[in-house]
Amino acid sequence: MFSKLALNNVKRSFKNYSIYFLTLTLAICVFYSFNSLEDQNVMLGMNQNEDFILNMSYFTIGMSIFVSFVLGWLIIYANNFLIKKRKKELGIYISLGMSKGKISRILILETLVIGFLSLVAGILLGIIVSQGMAVVTANILSAELQDFKFVVSMGAIGKTAVYFGIIYALVMLFNQVTISKYKLIDLLNAAKKNEEVKVKNPFVSVLLFLVAVTLLMISYSIFLTHGLAADRVQLSVVALFGGLGTLLYFFSLSNFFIQILQKNKRFYLKDINLFVLRQINNKVNTNFLSMAVISLLLFLTVTFLFIAFNVKGIIDQNAEERSSFDVSGYIYADGDIASPEMANIAGYLEAIDFEFDESERYAFYSEYKLDASPEELFTGYLSEEEKMDLEEGFMFNSIVKLSDYNSIRELAGQKPIDLREDELFIISDSGHVEGALAEYHQGEEPFILNGVAYSIQNRSPVKENIAIPRTGDFLYFVVPDHAVENMQLESTGFNVIYDEADPEESEEKFSALFVDFEEEKYSDFLPLSVSGQTWKQHLDRKNAPAAIAVFLGLFLGLIFIITSAAVLALQQLSDASDSLERYKSLKKIGVTEKLINSAIWKQTFIYFLLPLSLAVIHTAVGIYAIRELLNINFQTILTGTLLVAVIYGGYFYATYLGVKNIVRNSN
Amino acid sequence: MQNILTVDKIEKYYGNKGNVTKAIDNISFSVNKGEFLGIMGPSGSGKTTLLNCISTVDSITTGKITINEKDITKLKAKSLEKFRRDELGFIFQDFNLLDMLTAYENIALALTIQKRGAKEIDRLINEVAAKLGIEAILSQYPFQLSGGQKQRVACARAMVTEPSLILADEPTGALDSTSSRLLLDSFEKLNQEDQSTIIMVTHDSFTASYTNRILFIKDGRVFNELVRGNDTRKEFFNKIIEVVTLLGGDVSNVL
Repeated sequence: MFSKLALNNVKRSFKNYSIYFLTLTLAICVFYSFNSLEDQNVMLGMNQNEDFILNMSYFTIGMSIFVSFVLGWLIIYANNFLIKKRKKELGIYISLGMSKGKISRILILETLVIGFLSLVAGILLGIIVSQGMAVVTANILSAELQDFKFVVSMGAIGKTAVYFGIIYALVMLFNQVTISKYKLIDLLNAAKKNEEVKVKNPFVSVLLFLVAVTLLMISYSIFLTHGLAADRVQLSVVALFGGLGTLLYFFSLSNFFIQILQKNKRFYLKDINLFVLRQINNKVNTNFLSMAVISLLLFLTVTFLFIAFNVKGIIDQNAEERSSFDVSGYIYADGDIASPEMANIAGYLEAIDFEFDESERYAFYSEYKLDASPEELFTGYLSEEEKMDLEEGFMFNSIVKLSDYNSIRELAGQKPIDLREDELFIISDSGHVEGALAEYHQGEEPFILNGVAYSIQNRSPVKENIAIPRTGDFLYFVVPDHAVENMQLESTGFNVIYDEADPEESEEKFSALFVDFEEEKYSDFLPLSVSGQTWKQHLDRKNAPAAIAVFLGLFLGLIFIITSAAVLALQQLSDASDSLERYKSLKKIGVTEKLINSAIWKQTFIYFLLPLSLAVIHTAVGIYAIRELLNINFQTILTGTLLVAVIYGGYFYATYLGVKNIVRNSN
Repeated sequence: MQNILTVDKIEKYYGNKGNVTKAIDNISFSVNKGEFLGIMGPSGSGKTTLLNCISTVDSITTGKITINEKDITKLKAKSLEKFRRDELGFIFQDFNLLDMLTAYENIALALTIQKRGAKEIDRLINEVAAKLGIEAILSQYPFQLSGGQKQRVACARAMVTEPSLILADEPTGALDSTSSRLLLDSFEKLNQEDQSTIIMVTHDSFTASYTNRILFIKDGRVFNELVRGNDTRKEFFNKIIEVVTLLGGDVSNVL
């Protein structure tokens, strides 16, 4: 009997509270998708990059906990709405002689059924969505989707079930507390009770609104002048004034505007504008706190999404870089080492029995030490400021002999270069070096390198690195072979190009080799360690922090926007049921269906627009203030806006339809 | 005398084949301009259904209703809404005032949906408020008003558009006797001074004694008709009591 009642209630809930169910399902779907990412990564063959996977795991665990708090709050909030709406029904149960215990059991059963259904629906949706996420992940990390597999992450399912199980348990607990507090008379009269209309002093409202705007202006102007360079005190003032301003803004906004609009009789006394305005005024006044919170959440959402897409743009730019080589490895020569042949990379690889395949083309090279720092070498050609800059920055620098360099060029498919006895050749990506070189060619002075005078052959430096780049700028001098005879060896290295027909096998071999080095597998019998990377590892490493930022942005952004839109929708829907009597009265005095629908549309639209509009202003100011840190492009703004518009707009429209249905079905 | 409402042999059935309830069973009558008609009858007699049919809220099964020479049974949904807005004024038992609007705004709403100008609205409201003695409470919210005040505001809302016909459904149902008397005095005044045409459904004999003419309805048929003529209200009231006793012998319907 009770289970039948509970099941029927659930069926009805589906119809009436589809937004509640939709919210649960979406929340579970997003939660599952992000937690299943670890498994997706494995699928995408990014297991070589262990740092990244580890970071991702920590990140998802941390985020899961934070997000489950947000979602838990949302679900309890939504549930409370439903219970409030069902007061009368609960009252009837009690007046029929049902004990509160039994009612509790019905509610528990309901929560279980809805919880179970939404969990199943959410996870099923999540499994589909996560496949899409895998494609996005691959896209972000520029990985290739060669062996795409349909993956179901059992770990993520378990995690989702546990997190939401706990949330549902809390919901049940809250319901028990709520029910035990209700009195029968209040339950039965719940529908009749009108909301108390609070009349606020118009003067105070206007004053508070001006204070709110002033606070926001101060906060904006501080942030706009200082940006992120603001010190801690300034930043806390920005945050405090911004938050307080937002709160006061929503507290006074509708009263302020109704004061002004009431003065404009032609607008106020048109159609049922006065009804719409009073409705909104009423709602915003009661819900100003949640409106302010939602506005701030939306602000975070838009900012996160914006930054996420922005970072994504940077990653895309990185991915367009091409390297001449598939692998680069090197070993630093240590002066104290007993066996010099071990300090040479060729000898080292031989010692650990590593062999190149026939299909792999490779070239060894040696680097020699400079006896002065770059800023000293170019001292006559640099300004003081540039020198300071070079001193502070880090730049790889060494000397390479001509034959080594030409074999590297040959490997990369380029023509060899020629050098006269007293010539040298410069390779660098530093703007300062380029400037200094131009300056050098203006004069007649020879260039002194390790005590020998040279003339520099090239007019501007070659920007192509001699290996897969490490972090930082580089500066290499190419000198005739005999010049290096007495120089001190700095390091030896090699470059490899895979066979184009079958790169995977080689990629696996070399990435495994470098992982072995990182784990110090050979350190027992060889004191030195080879460093290096494949091109793919290089890209992954470079993109990992960015990718995490993208995920963080997307994940939090999605959760926040779903949360805020859902809360707004629930408030509107519950308000619609509370205002049914008002709509009935309107119909009775002859207000047309068309006017009522347009009133509903306007109300819902303005209610959704208010928090978003302030959030957009916040975001615009924030982004503008830190614009130099971002490379803003039009596409970024468009993508972020579109995503927000689709989700938020979808919720808005669903709410409008829901309210319209509630009002239409009332008679 | 100008004819405002003609009800011609209307019937209203509920239910389907095999189980038909005749809520209204062949009722005919007409109302002239400036009349104050009462409709009385016990619970379930069909008086509210009749009012709903006249007010175009409900449709009739057969027959014809003409208001101001317009056959409302033939109007389409859109013109019905317009007709209701422009030609009818409603007063309900539970007032149906909007709780978040002031008395002024509640009255204004009836005019704004007719797309009247702001100045005209202000003038009309002040006029009607003066007539009903509610000038002092115009800026107050319904929750600050007594039942009687609320009903007079509702009355003002119904009157302000100068409709052809005012329909009142148990207007005193939720009022105490003093408030009822005040309201009915207003009705009487409006009827006599402004020649407003009012149809009022009630089952309270005292309330009914304010009207010019009363239709008694029982089981969907017109059971009796009383015309006040030159009677004093006291005499008219006694006649009503007689008919009510005859009508059902049910004392609970009398008081």
